[in-house]
Amino acid sequence: MNPLDTRLAKLARKGDQRAFAEIVGLYKDKLYHLAYRMTGNRQEAEDVVQDTFLRVHKNLERYDENQKFSTWIYRIATNLCIDRLRKRRSTYSLDAESSGHEGLDGYSMLPSDDRTPESELLLSETQRLIREAMETLPVKYKSVMVLRYMKELSLQEISDVLDMPVTTVKTRVHRGREFLRKKLEHKL
Amino acid sequence: MWRSLSALKKKGMADMKCNVAVASMHDYLDGDLPRETALSLREHLSACPECRTRFEQLERTEALLLAVPAAEAPAGLEDRILQSLPGKRRPAAWTGWVRRHPAASAAAFFLIVMLTSFVAMWNQDRQLSVAGPDLDDVVIEGHTVTVPAGKEVSGDLTVANGTAMVLGDVKGNLTVIDGQVTLASTAHIAGHVKTIDRAVDWVWYKVTSWFGTIAYGS
Repeated sequence: MNPLDTRLAKLARKGDQRAFAEIVGLYKDKLYHLAYRMTGNRQEAEDVVQDTFLRVHKNLERYDENQKFSTWIYRIATNLCIDRLRKRRSTYSLDAESSGHEGLDGYSMLPSDDRTPESELLLSETQRLIREAMETLPVKYKSVMVLRYMKELSLQEISDVLDMPVTTVKTRVHRGREFLRKKLEHKL
Repeated sequence: MWRSLSALKKKGMADMKCNVAVASMHDYLDGDLPRETALSLREHLSACPECRTRFEQLERTEALLLAVPAAEAPAGLEDRILQSLPGKRRPAAWTGWVRRHPAASAAAFFLIVMLTSFVAMWNQDRQLSVAGPDLDDVVIEGHTVTVPAGKEVSGDLTVANGTAMVLGDVKGNLTVIDGQVTLASTAHIAGHVKTIDRAVDWVWYKVTSWFGTIAYGS
């Protein structure tokens, strides 16, 4: 018996709109969490989630049922995030910290959105620090780290999502972890 | 004696180099550090304060990362997504099937082309033809060739694309190509009765000539 999401995908492929709506319901939060941790921006996260579902809808025929549906949908979403992060960097260098302002880099200069959800009103200092550290991670480590820690995927699953060997995923997790450790070393 | 032994043992404990220890820490956090290596890592950590600090930092980082709260999609996003979808999906099942089974699709396509050309060419010569020495007594009605009772054909009778109904006598062989033979109890055939299914031969001929075209390009 196929998992629920695969069965829904099959139904949606046959034109069942309600099955597709159920897929949206199942995955919207998961994708939003992924996209928000990747882009660090609420508006962009929303856009990524919307784009992801549009692509899924358009390309349902290409979904291979032998693959986990989550792997497929995460791949689409992750690639959209990576594209955005790369594009963003080419327009203005955000990774470069502006001189004199510790911890103030290009990301903090993005149009601020003040729609802070209640769950984050009481965000602890530690949470803020880890989020800032995550945002400074280079893209190739960030995607691996978000999938590993925010989505809690196994190394093998990450390798399927990103279409790269497990050994590469492993190396990137190790480097990402070291990167964050150094960032947080003196703050914790 | 005792002293040198313990010194040796101590040296063995610190055998793991710091860089190897760091790699092992990461493997440990990944959840795939073999038990033996884990033991020597523990020994190294008890002997090396620097690595111990590093390990603690890594563990703390790990714990913090796992504790990041899940962000929830804002209310209304779901509706916006569903409304942004382009109309009704065409249930384009066969294009999907074609995409997923390219080899089978190519084979099916080939078969259809072969079959239609075969049918088209086959129909060109479906006309009834009768051959024999004296056909005056033979009755032809539609696709049926009848040798009436009491009448006889003095030699071989050949019928193509039709039914041969024999009530009388045939002095030679009766050959039916792509048709049927109906023999009445009064029928008498001196030679052999032979039916040929030309379609099989014809297909064989077409297929071999087609492959010949592919092989020799003419």
